[in-house]
Amino acid sequence: MRLLIADDEPLARERLRALVGEIDGVEVIGEAADGREALTLSATLLPDCVLLDIAMPVMDGLEAARHLTGFDPPPAVIFCTAYDEHALAAFEASAVDYVVKPVRRERLSVALERARRFTGEQYRAVGEHLGALPQRTHICARLRGNLKLVPVADVAYFLAEDKYVAVRHAGGEVLVEESLKALEDEFGERFVRIHRNCLVATDRLSGLRRTPDGRMFADVRDAPEPLEVSRRNLPALRRLVKSL
Amino acid sequence: MTTDSPLVERRRSPRPDTWLPDFCSLPIVFALLVVAELVVLVILLAPHRDGGLAWQRVFVASVYVQWLAICCAFCLCRLRPAIARQPVARGVAGAYASVVAIVAMGSGLVYWIDHATGLELTVPAGNALRFVGGSTLIAALVAAAAFRYFYVQAQWQRGVQAHARAQVAALQARIRPHFLFNSMNTIASLIRTRPQDAERAVEDLGELFRATLRGGEGSSSLAAEIELVQRYLAIERLRFGERLGVEWRLESLPQDLAVPPLLLQPLVENAVLHGIQPLSAGGTILIEGKVEAGSVRISVRNPRPLHPPPLARGNRSAIENIRQRLFYHYGKAGRLELEQGAGYYAATLTIPGA
Repeated sequence: MRLLIADDEPLARERLRALVGEIDGVEVIGEAADGREALTLSATLLPDCVLLDIAMPVMDGLEAARHLTGFDPPPAVIFCTAYDEHALAAFEASAVDYVVKPVRRERLSVALERARRFTGEQYRAVGEHLGALPQRTHICARLRGNLKLVPVADVAYFLAEDKYVAVRHAGGEVLVEESLKALEDEFGERFVRIHRNCLVATDRLSGLRRTPDGRMFADVRDAPEPLEVSRRNLPALRRLVKSL
Repeated sequence: MTTDSPLVERRRSPRPDTWLPDFCSLPIVFALLVVAELVVLVILLAPHRDGGLAWQRVFVASVYVQWLAICCAFCLCRLRPAIARQPVARGVAGAYASVVAIVAMGSGLVYWIDHATGLELTVPAGNALRFVGGSTLIAALVAAAAFRYFYVQAQWQRGVQAHARAQVAALQARIRPHFLFNSMNTIASLIRTRPQDAERAVEDLGELFRATLRGGEGSSSLAAEIELVQRYLAIERLRFGERLGVEWRLESLPQDLAVPPLLLQPLVENAVLHGIQPLSAGGTILIEGKVEAGSVRISVRNPRPLHPPPLARGNRSAIENIRQRLFYHYGKAGRLELEQGAGYYAATLTIPGA
C-alpha cells in the first residue's frame, strides 16, 4: 500500500515514517507539510492512503479530507490528531479511522489494515459528515485530471454557467462542479448575490453604475468587466454598497 | 473538561461570604429602615375602623417600628460572624428566631412602658396579647420574605462567583491537552534519533507542568516567568523547527519583581498557536520588555495569516482571564492591550511596581 504522510511538524512526520517502516506491505511515497500540499501531492502521486494530521497551516486535515472525497478514486484517509476535539467522534463508526498522538505502532497498523480494505463507497458517508463542517478555506477544481486550489479569500466572484460554476480569482478563472446555492449557503457571509447566476465577494465590490439603457452593473475588483445586477437583488445590494 | 474541584473548594471556604447581608453597613441599615417605614404605611393605610390616616398615629407607629428595626439590625450585625460559621439552614433559623424574639420582647417592653407611664399611645389596657402578638406576627412575616430574598440573592451571587472560578479553571485545562500530547509525540520521535534532546524536552515539560498545575495562584518573579516562557519555547521549537523564530529584546528589567504567575506564558502560547502554527513558512515572535514610567511593559508580537481562520474561542478566554487577574492584583494600573493589523498581532502587558 502506498502511503502519503501529512503533518506540519517534521518530527511527527519522522516518527510516522519510522513506525510505518516497521509495518509490512506499506510504503511511504511522500510527505506533505500542510493540507494543501497533501492535496497537490495526492493528485500527482495517487496514494492508496493518506495519513492526515488535523491541525495544519493553510488548510487543515478535515478540509483536505473533504476535498479528497472528490478524487477518483478517493484515497483512504486516516486522521492523526493530538487531542480528540469534536469532529472525530463522528468518524468512530465510519470508514475512516483515526489515531491519536503519541501514535502507537499497533494502533497504526490496525488503522492501515482497515485502510487496505477501504472502498470508495464508505467514503461517501464520510463526505456527508465532512460536508457539515465549517467553511472551506479553498475551492478545489479538478478538471481534466488537473488539480487547482483557489483560496476562498482570493475569489472575486462565482458565476454559474450551464453545469459549471466559474470561479474568478486574483490569478484567473477555474471551473467547479458545485451549485451556486450550495456555495452561497457555505460562504454567505463573505459573498452577496447580485444576480440569479452570480455571487460576488463583498470586499471586492467597488460600486454600482447604471448604463444609458437602464441596466445596473456592479464594479468588482479583479473582474475583467462589470457584472450585471438583477432588479430583484438591487435594493439589498444598494444598502450593502452604501454601508461599505 | 474536568477541573480540580477540591482545590477550588478549599479556596472558597475561608472567606466568610454568607447569605446574610452586612447589617453593620450604613446602606443596608438604611434599606432596612426604608422597608420598616413602608411596612408602617402599609399597615396604617389598610381600611380601618378608626377611619383616616392620623399624622400622630403615623409618627408614633414609625418611631416604634424604626426602633425595633434598629434593634434587629444591631443584633444581626453582632451575630453575623457566628451565623456565617453555621450551615445555611441553621444560620437562617437562628437569624430568623432572633429577629422574632427581639420584636416579641421589644413590643412587650413598649406595651409595659406605655401603660406604666399612662401615655396610652399603643392600645387600650388589657390588650397586651393582641399588641405583642400582632407585632411579632407582622415581623415574622416580613422577616420571612426578607430572608428568602437574601438567600436567593446569595445563591445568585454564588453562581456568578462560581462562573468566574470556572473560567480560571477552564483556561488552565484548555491549553493542556493539545500541547501535552503533541509534546509527548515529539519526545517519542526524539528518543529514537536524538536522545539528549528528548531528555531536555522531558525536563522542560516537567517544569512547565509544575508551574501550570499550580495555576494562577501565589506569586512568582519576573525572572521565573521569563524562564518559564523560554522552557515553553524550547519545546515548541522542537515541534516547529525552523518555522518558529524568537527574538528577545529585554532592557534591564527588575528580575525579582513579584508578579502573578502565568501572565506571560499564555500570551506567548497564543502567539505560537495563532501566529506560527497557521503560517506554513512560520515567522518570528518578538518579545520586548522595558521599564516605562515605573511600570514593566512586556509586549509579545507575532505575525499571522492575512486571512486568519475564524478565531477559536479559547483565545479570548485566555485574554479575559489575564485581564481579570491583572485587575485583581493591580486595579486599573495593570493592563493588557491588544493591537492587530494586517498580518500581525501584538499583546502588551503593563505591570506596575518596577
